[in-house]
Amino acid sequence: MTADRQDHAVPTGLRDRIMAASRDARPAGVAVPEIAPDSPTEAFARAADAFYQMLTSLGDEDWRRPVLRDLDVQGLVGHLIGVERDVQRCLSGDHEVGSANHVDSTQPAARSQAGRAPGLTVADWREAVDRTLALAGRSDLDGMVAIHGVALRVRDLLIARTFELWTHENDIRAVAGLRASVPEPSTLRPMTELATALLPFGAACTDLREPISVHLVLTGPGGGTWDVAVGEPSQDPSQLGIVADVVGFCRLFANRISPHDLDVLVTGDPRQATSVLAAAAALALD
Amino acid sequence: MPGPTLARYFPGVEPTDALLAGRLAAGDDHALAEAFDHLAPTVYGAALRVLGEGSAAQDVVQDVFVELWSHPDRYDPRAGTLGTYLNVLARHRAVDLVRSELRRLARQARHHRLTPAGHDPSPSDAVAAAATADAMRAAVRLLPDDQRQVVELAYFQGLSYREVAVATGIPEGTAKSRLRLALAKLETVLDRQLLESI
Repeated sequence: MTADRQDHAVPTGLRDRIMAASRDARPAGVAVPEIAPDSPTEAFARAADAFYQMLTSLGDEDWRRPVLRDLDVQGLVGHLIGVERDVQRCLSGDHEVGSANHVDSTQPAARSQAGRAPGLTVADWREAVDRTLALAGRSDLDGMVAIHGVALRVRDLLIARTFELWTHENDIRAVAGLRASVPEPSTLRPMTELATALLPFGAACTDLREPISVHLVLTGPGGGTWDVAVGEPSQDPSQLGIVADVVGFCRLFANRISPHDLDVLVTGDPRQATSVLAAAAALALD
Repeated sequence: MPGPTLARYFPGVEPTDALLAGRLAAGDDHALAEAFDHLAPTVYGAALRVLGEGSAAQDVVQDVFVELWSHPDRYDPRAGTLGTYLNVLARHRAVDLVRSELRRLARQARHHRLTPAGHDPSPSDAVAAAATADAMRAAVRLLPDDQRQVVELAYFQGLSYREVAVATGIPEGTAKSRLRLALAKLETVLDRQLLESI
């Protein structure tokens, strides 16, 4: 900001008057332009379509590239087929999948793709996703389910799966030399809603106990402003402001970048900011 | 809250203003408070220079910041600083305010000409007359110095062309041409009927 003209003392009370008039015109926390967020099913379907398009653009040599853990691209798609099968189990009322491990449970599906024609793997994955979408369409979105050690509502599960598909899409894009993709703002919006809602749980997982009131501002289409309490309950929490790009924050939440790799504007204690950002990345599942 | 600690800037030509605009779009009212604290004095100054009066200038400042908060996307950081954008907005709003006030006064003056004479001006008429003069002076302040000088001498002090020329040390023809230029500019600001009624 540059003050490039002659200044005049502002009359007392004008600041309060203008802040009140502004909030009357547009409530704080509401991003503009306003975006109609995707429903959880729409968001997951969009992410699946983007993933499918990316798969169909790969060359044969890309399928053999190492991408995550000990998996090549084909193995990672196999892992996702396994995840779809577990999701279908939990949506069908199978409680055992609630305690299954995200990686161990899907390794057989990942390994089973080795040596197959990539087109068959793509077809298997697409069929699995379509079956998940059909089951989700018949499910109560507010019903609770448990999968891979996490209990959550069906609507949140679908958004978490949106995160997962987008994240792995970009894992594959990176090793195949393709440009990174960004979800539509209407998809980003429910993703950021979920990420910010889970922030207190991420803080609990990382043993962040200091009571902190976080004013989190995510800039860019699909972003917004949230006030989130993390740590132990307190009447007098520390005040912390964090501003970050919405896509960068989603990459952090997906544990694809570290807090130190994220461009942020911090108001308050930078040490606390690093802890809060680490908490945001703590819930990611690979 | 302690002052901001900037861990890293976002990339861009005007990183601070671009970031502030992004925060406003995200619904961050803290960003609006920061913008007010940094820029309201200059915005208020810009409004005062046109209006020369406190309460109207405060209304303009309110309009400007409510506009910024309601439509932050209308500010393009690539086009200049946020301070410049807000000052231009304030100046336009202030000039609009003068124009609308003068139109109202012109309607009032026309009404008075059509009203039978012989009655003393009411207190509200007296206030309106004073406001007319104030508004006219505010509009004249928008003129370049040389044109403003001849208008003030001719219209507010009642000097003839010749007397204006003598007072300013310029030829009478120059005084006339400056007045013509000044009136042409004022006509873009003021209601022509008001000029005729003064």
